Parts: sequence; structure tokens; C-alpha cells
Amino acid sequence: MRRLFLSVVISFGIFSGCTKKEPLLTFAVGGAPNEVDYWEELIREFENRTHISVKLLRQPTDTDLRRQSLVTPLNAKEKDPDLFLMDVAWVAQFAASGWLFSLDSRIKKTSFDITQLFSSVVNQVDVYKGEVISLPVYIDCGLLYFRKDLLIKYGCPVPEIWSDFLECAKEIQGEERKNNPNFYGFVWQGAQYEGLVCNFIEFIASNGGDITDKSGSITVNSEENIQALQFMRDLIHKYKISPPNTFTEMREEEVRTFFESGNALFERNWPYAWKLHDSQGSPVRGKVGITLLPKFDNGRHAASLGGWHIGISRYSDKKDEAWELVKFILSYKTQKKLCLNLAWNPARVDVYDDTEVKERMPHMNVLKKAFENAVARPNFPYYTQISEVLQRYVNTAISGKINSGEALEQAQQEIFKNVKRYHE
Amino acid sequence: MNREIREAFFFILPLGIFVLLLMLLPVTGSLWISLWQDVSFLPRKFAGLGNYIRLFKDSQLWRSVGFTLAFSFASVSLEMIAGTIIALVLNESFRFRGIMRGTALLPWAIPSVIGARIWQLIYRYDYGLANYVLRGTSGLSVNWLGSSGGAFLSLVLADSWRTTPFVAIILLAGLQSVPESLYEQAKIDGANLFQRFFKVTLPVIKPVVIVALIFRTIDALRVFDIIYVITGGGPGGFTTSISLYSYKYFLLGDFGYGSTVSIFLFIIAFTIVILYIRAGRFREAAL
Repeated sequence: MRRLFLSVVISFGIFSGCTKKEPLLTFAVGGAPNEVDYWEELIREFENRTHISVKLLRQPTDTDLRRQSLVTPLNAKEKDPDLFLMDVAWVAQFAASGWLFSLDSRIKKTSFDITQLFSSVVNQVDVYKGEVISLPVYIDCGLLYFRKDLLIKYGCPVPEIWSDFLECAKEIQGEERKNNPNFYGFVWQGAQYEGLVCNFIEFIASNGGDITDKSGSITVNSEENIQALQFMRDLIHKYKISPPNTFTEMREEEVRTFFESGNALFERNWPYAWKLHDSQGSPVRGKVGITLLPKFDNGRHAASLGGWHIGISRYSDKKDEAWELVKFILSYKTQKKLCLNLAWNPARVDVYDDTEVKERMPHMNVLKKAFENAVARPNFPYYTQISEVLQRYVNTAISGKINSGEALEQAQQEIFKNVKRYHE
Repeated sequence: MNREIREAFFFILPLGIFVLLLMLLPVTGSLWISLWQDVSFLPRKFAGLGNYIRLFKDSQLWRSVGFTLAFSFASVSLEMIAGTIIALVLNESFRFRGIMRGTALLPWAIPSVIGARIWQLIYRYDYGLANYVLRGTSGLSVNWLGSSGGAFLSLVLADSWRTTPFVAIILLAGLQSVPESLYEQAKIDGANLFQRFFKVTLPVIKPVVIVALIFRTIDALRVFDIIYVITGGGPGGFTTSISLYSYKYFLLGDFGYGSTVSIFLFIIAFTIVILYIRAGRFREAAL
């Protein structure tokens, strides 16, 4: 008996001791299953070309869970994963935590041409204390999807400003309701989660507002912001062109499926929805157009900047190999592949001029314009805290419980109180 | 040490190791972290009771505490009442009793996230089952999760659905230990159904009731999964339980304060358990 026990223990030790083959990179990637599968394919190609073996660490789809599965090993200074994708909203926190390896030396040594990437994005997101600590892999931003067929049927031009938008949505909703009582003018993300903050930033920027003032301090309770929030709330409660569950259930996928089933005229969503709306079997196939989100008279067409960035862990023991993989992912060929196969918007500017890309994805020129208008979320390491408070108060306001001015006033006070603690 | 005590010691040892490694160690670890300013992007420094002082001034936390206590009270009460009724029914002998017992346990066998997802689909405004039924009968649609009261009741219902079987099965075990002769005597003395339940059944199964209460209360106090799935803490942060609140600090990278919130939850749960044991006069009641 004792001998059996010992042999079990020993063999366990042997087998667990020899799992790591070198040189092995660990690359953490999440997302939709088809995206992760496609990464597998790309990684295999990279392995064949460079003879650096890579282990893909599959992460969940949910953004918070992806972050959680990175925070734990990084905080414990683990050497795996060596590199990973980060949502644009976490880069500042990861950088300030000292988890990211500065890429400056590698960029210089291998004369990597960083000017090929959208410089506005790199400057807003990837530079921390003068050092490049991450690089964009693909870019996302908020867009307005519309039903081409319905706009033509009722003679509405594609709206540029919110007042035209409103008129058009109200009219068409009224007419369409006669046949389809579930029809709504406009669907967007209003549930209490990060996506709500992205929507909020677009509405306020389209009215000339912002979350921070010129000196960089946080001012969420400006007049412009209050007006924009009031407008969001009115969309649901006054004009009733957005469904009543906007503030409880509407996240990206709920909004996408709602629009895709033919029950909405306008939709605010990220670029990923394009390919799905246009896929075989979609009831709205061929009837969808995209444009920039409307603005108020004194604002601009705004689009929240989303997207994912790649970084190398400071604790990685394979930084050179990791940099090879970064270069591979940001190469023209790979970026084009990601664009054509996953409909991701390349971080490289030159891919947008590729003839094949232009031909197969004619909407790409709208996207390029939208990226030029992209507004980044505030670049603070404690951004999560700001977002958490904003989500709560913006959601309370659009649920109709407190008025917009009061909501932003309270949010301002709470952010101010909470954030003080995180200044050195 | 005589042999008997030595053997007893060996019998307890596995449990002792288990408790030490999986319970005491994490708790003391959290306690230790809670004494530090441990924010991933700030220098780490000793904070003493700083995080605890912050805790008492944190109005959002108190809102979470209020919600969590109300949620626990409502769902545990509902589960105990429904669980008792189910247990009493399942304790009677009737045809297909075995099948009924199995079926009643089903919700408990479903992983809680999946259970939560089912309820989320039931509450969905546009194509949820609840509104489907309602539209068919009255033509109305209700945004179940849109108001604080609605979200609260929806969560209580979803939680009770899943955990009532657990209470029922524990109570059923208790009921089976009540000797039939006690009921016969009570009947002879002229006790009616309610008297038999309150004077005979309840006192005998009291220890089991307390055990069920303890398990369920601790579980309800640290509720996370169903809220994360169904409401995400909304609307307007109303349904943010203490665990969810602490998790948000983990994502932010403020491990010190997040741990402080967890320790606070631990203290609340611990206090309530002690009150239960006191109230149940556990030692006398136990066999």
C-alpha cells in the first residue's frame, strides 16, 4: 500500500516537472470562439516560419474575465503569459502597475516602423511616460448602422445631426409600428457596464462635452454633458424611440440581434456587427448602411475608441521571441488576414489602401474616417473607478430615477472623493 | 497520550489540514493584505487600519451591505418556507415518490451560472418567457429588471428556485428521523395537523433546520454569480452585492481595499452564524 502511494506521488512529480519545452511562448488571447480559432491558425504559421513554439492561452469572451485572468498572474509576477492582448481601457492601469515591458529598445533595434500604425491611437493609448509600452492590433469605434431600405422608402436622408435623426426615427417608427408593433427607432448600449460609458462619451462629445477638462482634471458635470445625458434619457422615456429595456439589458449582442431581426431603424454598435448583419441568413442582409454617429449643432461626430493592444509582460523570460510574435502580428500580411477573415479593423494605415481589402470591404473608408474622430476614454490608471461610478449614475439617470443634472453632480463628487486616494 | 486519544487525533488530522490549508490560510492572507495599501499602480505601503476607516465612510459599500442583508433575509426566508413544505410533501408516502424526490432536486443539480442564465432569459424584456406569458394573457410587457423592486424580487426568486431543493433535502433527512410513535401519541392526545407540526416535528428537526439556515445564509450573503449574470449590479448599482463590490476593486487593482471588503463580509457572516448557534442552543438540541 505504502509503495503504491509513493509511486503515485513520485510519478506525479515527474510528470508535472517536465511539461515545459523551450523555447515556449505563452500568448493569452480571448474573444469569440471563431476569433480564437483563427489565432490558432496564425500561430501555427508563425511557428512554421520562425521555429519558436507558442502556446495559446485561451481566454473567455467576456472582457472583464479576460482582464481578471491577466491581473492574477501579473500581480504575482508570473513569467507566463509572455504576451497578451489588452482592451484599450486597461492599458493605462497595466502600464502604471509596471506590468508592461517597454518596447522602445526593440523598436529601435529591429527598426520597426511604428509610423505605419494609426499615430493618433498610439499617442493616445500606447505611450506611457514617454515610452511605448504596447501597440494596437486592431481598432474599434462606435458607428451608426442604419436601414438603407427604410430611409429610402420614407424619403429620409442619412442624418447628420441629432434633431434630423430624431425626426426621421419618430416618423419611421410610427409608420412601421402599424405592421410591426415591436419596431423601435434606435437601439444602443445602456445596461450598467463598460459599454454604457462608451455610449455616454459619444453622446457628450457630440455635444462638445468631455469627461476631463483642458487641464486634465475630471469634470463630468458640465452643462454640455448634462444636456447630452438628458437626450439619452429622453430617447427612452420621452421620444420612446429606444426600447424600455435599454438600461437593463442592452449590451452589444442584445443590440445587434435586435437590429438584425429587423426590429430597429438605427443601431449604435462596434464594427464587428457589420459582417454579421451582412451574413447569409440575416434578415437585414444588404439593407444596412453605416455612417458616423450624428452630432448636436455645437459638437462633432464622435466615436468611442475601442480595440485591443498587444503588450509584453515585464516578467516574461522570452522577451526576444515575444517581440518576434508582435512584429508578425503587426505585419502587413497578418493585419490584412485579420481584416479579411475576422473583419477586424487593422491598426496599420496602409492596409486600408489595399485593393483587395477595398474591394471586399467597401465600408472600410467610413471606418477610416471614424477613427480620425475617435475619442479615447480617459487615460488614467484608476479609470476603472471612474467608469464604475459613471456607469452607476448614468444608468440611474437613463432609468428615469433621478434627473440628469443631479446624477452627474453626484457622480462628480463621488469620483472626486474616490480618485483622490489613487494619486501618489 | 493514550492510544485512544492518539487515534482520535489521526482521525481528525485530515480535516484539520483541510481547514488549515483551504480556510484559515486564505482568510489570514486576506486579513494581512487588508492591512496594506496594495494598489497595483501605487507603491505598496503599510496602511494599518486605514482601509477599515475608509470602509466605514464608504456610502456605496453600505448601500451594498443593505442590499445584501435584505436579499439574504428575503431569499433565505422564502427558501426555508418553500423547502419545509416540499420536504413535508416528499416525506409522505405516495406513488412515484422516488421520481418526485429526484425531480425536486433538479434545480440544485444545475450549475448556478447556467441557472442564472435561464432566469435571465425568462426575465428578458423582448422575448423572455415571463413577458411572453403576460402578453398572451393581458397584452402587457413588464421590464422586470428595470426597477429596484423588480430587480430585487427577480433575483430572490431566481436564487430561491435554485436552492430550495437543497433546503428541502436537508429537512427531509431530518423529518425521517422523527419517530412515527410521537405522531401517534400526539394524535391520541387530540393534536391537530398544525399542532403536530409545531409541537412535535419542529422541535425534533430543529438542529437540522439550524444547519440548513447556516448553510443558506452564508451562501446568500456572499451571492455573486446570479447577480453578475442577471443584473450586473444594475439598475443604477442597486443590486450590487458585497462580493460584487469587492470584485470591482479587484479589477481596478486595489487588492488592499478589495480584501478589506471581503473581510468585512466574513465578519458579517461569522456574526450571524454565531447568533444562529446561540439561538438554536445547538449543544442541548444536538443528540
